[in-house]
Amino acid sequence: MAITKRVEKIRDNYVNTKPHISYERAWSWTKSFQRTEGQPHLIRTAQAFYDTCCELSVNIWEGELVVGTSGEFRKCAILTPEFGWLWIDEEIDTFPERGQDPYDVTPEQTEFIRKNIFPYWKGKSVEEAFLARTSEATKKIGVDTGFLDTDSKWRNGIGEISADYIDVLLPKGYGGIRAEAESYMAELDEAIPSDKEKIDFYRSMVLVADGMITLGRRYSMKAAEMAEAETDPVRKRELAEIADVCSRIPEQPPKTFREAIQFVWFVQLGGIIAENPLAWNPGRFDQYMYPYYKADEEAGIIDYDTALELVECLWLKYSEWAWTISRNTASFFAGYTNFENLTVGGTKVDGTDATNTISYMAIQATRECMTHQPTLSCRIHPDCPPEFMEAVTELVSTGCGFPAIHGDRTGYQMLSNLGYKPEDARDWNNCGCVVPHSRKTFEWTSAASISFAAALEFALNQGRSRLSGEQVAPEEKDPKTFASMDEILEAWKKQFRYLVRHGVISLVTAQEIHREIGHRPFMSACNEYCMKNGRDLVDGGAKYNIGPVFTGVGLSVMANSLAVIKKLVFEDGVTTMAEIIDAIDSNWEGYEQLRELALACPKYGNDDDYVDSIARDLADFFYEEVTKYDDLYGNHFVTAFMGISNYLPTGKVLGATPEGRHAKDPINEGVSPYTGSDKSTCLAALRSAAKMNHDKHSGGTLLNLRLNHDLVATKRGRANLGAMLQSYFALGGFHVQFNTISNEVLADAQANPDKYRSLLVRVAGYSAQFTNLSREMQDSIMARNAHEAF
Amino acid sequence: MQIQPFSVNDGEGIRTNIFMAGCPLRCRWCSNPEGFEQKKLMGWHKRKCIGCGACTAVCPQGIGIDLNAGRDRCTACGACADACPEEARTRMVTLMDADDVIREVLKHRLFFSYSGGGVTFSGGEATSQPEFLDYLSRELYDAGCSIDLESCGYFDFELVRPSLERMDLIFMDLKHMDPAVHKEFTGVSNERILENIARLVTLGRPAENGAAGHGAPETVIRIPVIGGVNNSEENIAASAAYVHDVLPAAKMELLPYHSLGRIKYEAIGMPFDQEGFYTPDKEEMKKLRGIAAAQGVEIVDYR
Repeated sequence: MAITKRVEKIRDNYVNTKPHISYERAWSWTKSFQRTEGQPHLIRTAQAFYDTCCELSVNIWEGELVVGTSGEFRKCAILTPEFGWLWIDEEIDTFPERGQDPYDVTPEQTEFIRKNIFPYWKGKSVEEAFLARTSEATKKIGVDTGFLDTDSKWRNGIGEISADYIDVLLPKGYGGIRAEAESYMAELDEAIPSDKEKIDFYRSMVLVADGMITLGRRYSMKAAEMAEAETDPVRKRELAEIADVCSRIPEQPPKTFREAIQFVWFVQLGGIIAENPLAWNPGRFDQYMYPYYKADEEAGIIDYDTALELVECLWLKYSEWAWTISRNTASFFAGYTNFENLTVGGTKVDGTDATNTISYMAIQATRECMTHQPTLSCRIHPDCPPEFMEAVTELVSTGCGFPAIHGDRTGYQMLSNLGYKPEDARDWNNCGCVVPHSRKTFEWTSAASISFAAALEFALNQGRSRLSGEQVAPEEKDPKTFASMDEILEAWKKQFRYLVRHGVISLVTAQEIHREIGHRPFMSACNEYCMKNGRDLVDGGAKYNIGPVFTGVGLSVMANSLAVIKKLVFEDGVTTMAEIIDAIDSNWEGYEQLRELALACPKYGNDDDYVDSIARDLADFFYEEVTKYDDLYGNHFVTAFMGISNYLPTGKVLGATPEGRHAKDPINEGVSPYTGSDKSTCLAALRSAAKMNHDKHSGGTLLNLRLNHDLVATKRGRANLGAMLQSYFALGGFHVQFNTISNEVLADAQANPDKYRSLLVRVAGYSAQFTNLSREMQDSIMARNAHEAF
Repeated sequence: MQIQPFSVNDGEGIRTNIFMAGCPLRCRWCSNPEGFEQKKLMGWHKRKCIGCGACTAVCPQGIGIDLNAGRDRCTACGACADACPEEARTRMVTLMDADDVIREVLKHRLFFSYSGGGVTFSGGEATSQPEFLDYLSRELYDAGCSIDLESCGYFDFELVRPSLERMDLIFMDLKHMDPAVHKEFTGVSNERILENIARLVTLGRPAENGAAGHGAPETVIRIPVIGGVNNSEENIAASAAYVHDVLPAAKMELLPYHSLGRIKYEAIGMPFDQEGFYTPDKEEMKKLRGIAAAQGVEIVDYR
């Protein structure tokens, strides 16, 4: 069926309006903090959340069935100055006009924010604390460099949490959470110091629960008022129903599918208000929603189409909220993407197939709405029903880039390797883009971005940036004097270790600060073990505390570069180190023929072990090096080859590289082959990527490929795509995602953006509306190699 | 020969095509002219060539950039292809050791097993190298790999019978029912081909004397529909009637002519002379498929 008129209208608004900055949340938060000076930080945070829930304007927009917004605009972007405000102050005037992810904001708003909000936070934000505690050496290599970046952990809220709907939220409701906190509190004695801390924690739980309950009631009252005034009888009835639902939700556990949908959105909204978080994941939606659907359907109070419309309303709510980020961050996470990752499919904890009606409904909603959120992920197990595979590959064939497709067993193995119990590892869901995650977990899943290619640049340029000439990393000998591959590799390792070390220093500093002033009572209330342990997430309350994740960028650039040096200098002897260094120093100008030779060397992505084995060794070294370090909580750091759009900014800061890349060109994301260099078949690209020992890199691995649309235009072609996926997963691969829109269509969309406002494309680990991407991002998507021949 | 992984239109699932060079026919619409002769062959893609001369520098025969000007001296050693930075010089036909072929194709066995795919012997003409075909088909059969054959139908049936019996699926071409027209456009008469189609019914054997039996391969008779040559309703109807008569279990596939072989003719320096043929459009193909089906044959499509 096609989307309903209601959904179509909401969708039109979503597609055609720019997000608007709202300071309501920041203003309430600031006023609350002004009132609670001297209180424990945890309590202040919970109180601020409660106060904001009481003050935030309550709006029900035209046609809505699922209600709740983070401010006075339908497409709202909010501010969290407690994490970082310096960058907002610097950039807010350019918000409406900037190239990537612009926001509307009025001069009056800007003036209000500068006058009333920022002054309070001066010297108090996480960002300022981080910069104050960080050495010049670390800043030089790891603050806004593109070589090593950790700022998503000290300029923004953390996010990266999967709500526990199954054991906590849905069965208890916030009334239940409140009652549980109070009963724990009743057993504690304020005169015992360790009890005193727990009492604070449980007080924070009560404040969070009261905030959520208040928010629901305010929406109920608003809806009742609006119903009263409404003249259209149909809408009047709908508003009355909203008033009824919100009179119980989210205080009480939902009893119907309708209530559960509203409940899930209120939880999402609560998280947004609390942290404006990235990667705030709804998790295994089909698993926790199906029981409500089944019961309602059996009772005859809902049918498939009614449920689908509610799900589509929810999808639009996920998409209307815009994450507020800096220009720099927007270049890493382009397209207003907030990574609300919603997972369907896979196996249940008992090992049987988990797909159900809701799994298919979620896929259908994504296909029909073409919203950039939720970030839809599918788990595919070896015995995946053919109908589910067809639904998944059919969605791929629309070209929207969804879903992200994951191998069930590799995800399980990734968590097992981190020490998860089988029952929890089997229940994994996705976080953010491609991180195997759990609702029992506290983890910084996207903590540091570390560039393999930058370490190579330093190794081959005496520790200096090739573009700026600045000495940012340890000194190294003259690269023209390197006499063996071993020597080069050792130099690279030295530089890479340096990057890792400063990444660790930065992140442990950030962890310390978050433990002091980054309490997360709202998120802790969504976590089963925080309640049991009486401790906030930042105090290690969760069942699983996992070390922060380093995301490696530029693996294929690095492997291809080493292959070129190995072959041309040390094996074939057709050139020298000196000539290669001169060539990349001059950005290949005057060395076109040498560049042709470099381009003709074996490239990662073609199932050629000459270079694939180099890539694997590098990836293994990355794992060894990073996991040596422990974080503040005593957990080892974790590796990933994720994506995001970091291949652009990390490439922009680098000079030319030996494999033929020009200065400032993008590098590559995840375990993907370098753009255009996987010239064999799709099968060869998959086989190369599968060699990277994915299960070690428990922070997730990402592979983006483009497929010619013709290949998936028939059911038979899609079945073959399904077989390719199963083969990749059997080989140990974790994630793959496809763009299948032709370059002709994309070129037309560049020329006529108005015709293509709703065109969704794969960026890296997520999808965004093509017309919301900057020109350079669009170009880089078009340059990805399309596998024409099936 | 050439190995082409990731083929999806020549049998079930994801397949690797093994092109074996050498063909007894010279169909004037052929899109794989490199498969005519059974010999190593280099190609020069003029459009990709940047004229850098890397090929000339390494050529032991002293052939210039224009390979076709010195083609009579080319031994297809491949040095130029290794040196070329633009993939403008390529190996069109190579010699490969049979065991290397098997190792190479079985790399993709996971893709085969998940998709129900395997290996398809093609050409040129796979039966033109009967011993090679026998060895490869036996080894792959024993490895449990699905194997299909695409053939022009012009071969010594008894000589290749053991290979044929190992196949899961045999595609055989039927280009025209009229012997004279067939000879005019392909260089040979159709009698032997018609005969071989009829003999496909004898494949497969029951188990006896303790030896395992073997089911008959599936058969698909293909008509490459060449506009202006064999696309008359009468010819299609007669072809389908013949197939239905002599090989009732066979299915048929009708494939429209395409001119994509042009770049290969250019690459090997052969004149491309197919201006007289046209590609039947969707409507015409649909009509012709209907005519064939009306003779009682099941029409299949591997798209």
